[in-house]
Amino acid sequence: MKFNNALAKHSDEILVLLREAKEKDIRLGDVMSMAEVMMNSMHGFFESLDMSVYKEMREIASYIEKAKGDISNLQANKLKGEHIPVAGRELDEVVAATERATDTIMESAEKIMAADTSDFTSYQTEVNNAVMDIFEACSFQDITGQRINKVVGTLKHIEDRVARFANATGVEDSEGAQSAAETADLKRKNDLILHGPQSDTEAVIQDDIDAMFK
Amino acid sequence: MALDLSMEVLVVDDYKTMIRIIRNLLKQLGFENIDDAADGAEALGKLKEKAYGLIISDWNMEPMTGYELLKEVRSDDILGKTPFIMVTAESKTENVIAAKKAGVNNYIVKPFNAATLQAKINAVFGE
Repeated sequence: MKFNNALAKHSDEILVLLREAKEKDIRLGDVMSMAEVMMNSMHGFFESLDMSVYKEMREIASYIEKAKGDISNLQANKLKGEHIPVAGRELDEVVAATERATDTIMESAEKIMAADTSDFTSYQTEVNNAVMDIFEACSFQDITGQRINKVVGTLKHIEDRVARFANATGVEDSEGAQSAAETADLKRKNDLILHGPQSDTEAVIQDDIDAMFK
Repeated sequence: MALDLSMEVLVVDDYKTMIRIIRNLLKQLGFENIDDAADGAEALGKLKEKAYGLIISDWNMEPMTGYELLKEVRSDDILGKTPFIMVTAESKTENVIAAKKAGVNNYIVKPFNAATLQAKINAVFGE
């Protein structure tokens, strides 16, 4: 009777949780909360059971509690809301800075190529000015280097946290975890042989390519 | 096939800086008529409007890649013989073999210099 009353009370709580979750993705935290409610609802039931079963259940409860702690330590919300967007903005800045610098360098080089050589003094001034612009534009490398270091630091931070979480929970990679968009993207890359730039050790060099066209 | 510096050259790349680099290099090599397109689909449209003597294309572009453009060109009765040089960062042997099989005339890996571009153009035109 005591168990039935408790179960009825907690079942209502679970129903409320499930109704709230119906319109959105159920998070692991919600599942944990529901499991906790269920555990609480069965508390009276445990009292009537054999102590060994009760001990098993306590261990499960401890495991759930520990898993909640591990998830909390992952700081997924902070990673998603702070670290990753900041890293993305840094990379956008790097792209914009390299584009601006390349533009300036090319513009200066084009000025030199098009400079009038008939008057040596004005030609020299024009070339000197263009060369100074090129030197100035090259300073982008210092700043972009620092920005990329920050992004590398963020990736390391994420790597550490995810590795710690995986170790703590003992989770293993599951097959078929890709989204439909990821699968489609992977298929396109495979079909159209899109690998992107390779490292020096992996890339085939121009001389080897030339040999294939002889 | 003789090299004619007044022929129309189509440069296909989705990165405008690369188009600018190749344009300047081609101008230095003496080419006068250089046109460009941002991907394979745009290039194909231009190829059907005007006769080009040479296509220099990147591989990795969207929506139509340079590899797809190459296959489209080679399967077209009118465009089929147009000289085609791939200039790309796709530097796996698999890519070079696929491009050669699809009928590319030469293949340049990025980054490259003016001498390499000139050598490949000369090789394509048997200079």
